[in-house]
Amino acid sequence: MTVSDAMLEASTPDLTPGGAEPDKEIAGRSPMRIAFDRLKSDKIAIACTVIVLVFVVIAIFAPLLCDLFGVKLRDGGSKNLDQFNYPVIGPPDHPFTWKAPLGIQPNTGYDLLAEWLYGARTSLEVASITTVVATVLGVTIGLLAGFSRGWLDRVITFITDFFLSLPFIMVALAVSPMIVQRYAQNQTKLDRAQFISLILILSCFGWMTLARLIRGEVISLREREFIQAARVIGAPTRRILFKELLPNLVAPIVVAVSLGLPAYITAEAGLAYLGIGLTGRPSWGQTINKAVDWFNSYPLYLYAPVVGILLLVVALNLLGDAIRDAVDPKTRR
Amino acid sequence: MRLKKTVVAASAVAALALVAACGGGGGGSAGNTQQSYKGGGGAGAGKNATAQGPAAVPSDAASGGTMDVVTWAAPGTLDPTRTYYTDSGEIMNLVTRALTQYVYDPKSDDMVLEPDMATDLGQVSKDGLTWTFTLKDGLKYEDGSPVKAEDVAYAIKRSFAIDTLPDGPTYQLTFFKDGDLYKGPFASAAQLKKMKGYKSDWYSGDDYKGVETDGNKITIHLAKPFPDLDYYASFPVFTAIPQSKDTDPTSYEQHPLATGPYKFADYKPGAELKLVKNDQWDPNTDPGRIQSVDGWDFKFSQNQAKDENAILGDKGNAQTTVSYDNALAQNYKRASTQAPDQLTQGTSPCTYFWYIDMKKITDKRVREALSWAYPYQDAWKASGYIIGVTRQPGTSLLPPGTAGRVEYQYPEGQDGQTTDPAKSKALLKEAGALGFKIKFSYKTDVPESVSGKDAIVKGLKAGGFDPQPVASTSAKERELQSDNNAPLNIRSSGWCSDWPTGGSWFPAIFDGALVGQAGMPNKSNFKEADADKKQSEILHMTPDKSAAAWGEFDKWMQTTYMPVVNVGYAGVAMLHGSKVGGMYNDSTKGMPTFSTMYIKK
Repeated sequence: MTVSDAMLEASTPDLTPGGAEPDKEIAGRSPMRIAFDRLKSDKIAIACTVIVLVFVVIAIFAPLLCDLFGVKLRDGGSKNLDQFNYPVIGPPDHPFTWKAPLGIQPNTGYDLLAEWLYGARTSLEVASITTVVATVLGVTIGLLAGFSRGWLDRVITFITDFFLSLPFIMVALAVSPMIVQRYAQNQTKLDRAQFISLILILSCFGWMTLARLIRGEVISLREREFIQAARVIGAPTRRILFKELLPNLVAPIVVAVSLGLPAYITAEAGLAYLGIGLTGRPSWGQTINKAVDWFNSYPLYLYAPVVGILLLVVALNLLGDAIRDAVDPKTRR
Repeated sequence: MRLKKTVVAASAVAALALVAACGGGGGGSAGNTQQSYKGGGGAGAGKNATAQGPAAVPSDAASGGTMDVVTWAAPGTLDPTRTYYTDSGEIMNLVTRALTQYVYDPKSDDMVLEPDMATDLGQVSKDGLTWTFTLKDGLKYEDGSPVKAEDVAYAIKRSFAIDTLPDGPTYQLTFFKDGDLYKGPFASAAQLKKMKGYKSDWYSGDDYKGVETDGNKITIHLAKPFPDLDYYASFPVFTAIPQSKDTDPTSYEQHPLATGPYKFADYKPGAELKLVKNDQWDPNTDPGRIQSVDGWDFKFSQNQAKDENAILGDKGNAQTTVSYDNALAQNYKRASTQAPDQLTQGTSPCTYFWYIDMKKITDKRVREALSWAYPYQDAWKASGYIIGVTRQPGTSLLPPGTAGRVEYQYPEGQDGQTTDPAKSKALLKEAGALGFKIKFSYKTDVPESVSGKDAIVKGLKAGGFDPQPVASTSAKERELQSDNNAPLNIRSSGWCSDWPTGGSWFPAIFDGALVGQAGMPNKSNFKEADADKKQSEILHMTPDKSAAAWGEFDKWMQTTYMPVVNVGYAGVAMLHGSKVGGMYNDSTKGMPTFSTMYIKK
């Protein structure tokens, strides 16, 4: 058993010596089990999980949902628009219609529900892939830095500080036109390159905090008895890193993941709003970018993607908080 | 004339604005606001050689006040010699007077060519090779010193120094005597030798054989007849610049010496220009300008959506604010339904083209198919244009109002807005070119450009083409369009009349001699011996015949070769505050007539 397990169990009243009633079975519970039980009893956490799951379902089944509503992505065109480029059905000038539940995009005549559904897909795709990449990077680098003493630690710390000092928006602004220039002539490649570069940029600027956190944890853990013991019996470094240290770091990692996701969703939308994100596929940020100027006359155009982002980000953040509370052995309920 | 120029968008917000349109005329602010495009709109073909100052100040004008002008664009330069964009030309009309000028005529709702610093519209010799202008008496600079004929001659000489002062209009190089040999007053003999393509008979310095002065008279000698020189003389190139004040030519734009009703008070390039009254200007010498407001405050590179909201809100300063950008689609509806008096609309002397690269798309049937496949309505709307207002379906290449214009449809039945994928496919099949690759550029950082691209891709696919858009950015787009080796076979751009005859169109953009030149003036790479011969014949005709001949040439060129697809005429819809008076549309530029504007009582 690892140290933190023992600490956790020590904090549960069941283990008080002599206090156990004879007919009650004493069951050992893993720390994750305890955290999960705590989460289950947290109503906010449950509600947020449901919301997040709904968005995940929307993202996965976007094409099916479009069919269900009878809308098509980026279809329609000028026949949906009047002489002022405003939609001929639905808001803002006409009553609600199921033909276009979220309205029609002015100028282009695209259906906004389809745009919204696929936008959810883009957001979650970018955010989840980025989170995975950034977490893997952060954990690996943090483990390495914490466990290695001397020059490797110093080099890694320097690199972490270096990345922390780079201005994120500036790099994104500089890279975006380069990608456009490089893949100018092939739209499929350009779309893929924009997607990959967006994930790379976001993850390149997302791993440092986690790496520092992990490094700190590892430094404090590596001097503990169980690591010393593992060394004494000749366990290889790989085993010490992944079998002894990593399980003790699950809590900070889970917290980093749950708080990283909403941050990346906002970042993706923010970059799209600045005109340097994805251009080849629907995204909430792009819709917001276009809709801001129409807010006076056509508020629903802006509300839909904003509410989407707001709901998803708030739900993920609250869920992240709940997870942090649940896995933190020091919180008592 | 070129479309409005922007500086590189300083922020993403600035890039939200629509593509620049240069625009056209008509539509009064007081009362008879035009709600629809004026079919046969004017383009300033009229002339009045005897107009006399002063111009009448309207009775509802309050003397004083500052007029605010906002725009998302920013003029690249305000040097009179280099001014060749619609916006900078209109702004400089307040500051520098030229030999002739365009004046708004309320009767015809059109611009009329009238004398400015000259007493008339110029006297031309029988052989058409000598023009004489006489300066009026009592013309002064802002510092009180008199305007002399030598100063106008110097300004003309200055326009030949295109190495020092690039980007200006260049008709003088083609038509004026020694235009190809004289290199302006600045270059030394050693510098001349370093210039590209140096020939031993080139010369520079103060002694130019094409311009002579005698007292108040300026005589211009031409190499070949230039019947439209009186129109050309309205460009700021033909202002007066005292040589003694032009010690550093490249920084003269910081404060060009004013001859008009306003002078520079403060100029921050790309950001702001402040003008104040020039008390040395004499209204009795000027038939076209009034000096009613105390000053002008031009703000460049602004957020268009924000400014338009303020103008439509019509509170405080916004009541005396003018925007010369085309109203955004969302605001156009609001303005035309709720505040039609704050909207100035009209035609413009500009046509948008899809220039087809004749070297790369050699089969005429493919070029015709393009005109059937192009999704006019979808592409215009997706790019944010209001059909019938800021974009009008186009047929002949010359826009309405041009003298001698011949109305025709080519291909037969193409009224400038009909998309027929079946016809396109049939033509492509006949040519054996189904799936022909079409490469055109778009800007990834301008949402309207991206949605326009999406609409065009869809349309071309339906028409049997294989569209291959080439991604670019606002900063790089212009460079790509004018690069001879760019991987494009379509270049999307436009052209505006310098004066309302075909003479400012075909020799400037479809002359075979321009193929391969830097900056790619002939974007279609159109070089056909018979077309060049016809053009040269028309250039040698007398003015009364040449205008009609250009109209016929338009039809002949398009039906015989079809080097462009006409993707619409430009129009304008500009917003202004409720206290702005006298704002009409300069149909020669598609800009507000600044010189007639005032603040209402």
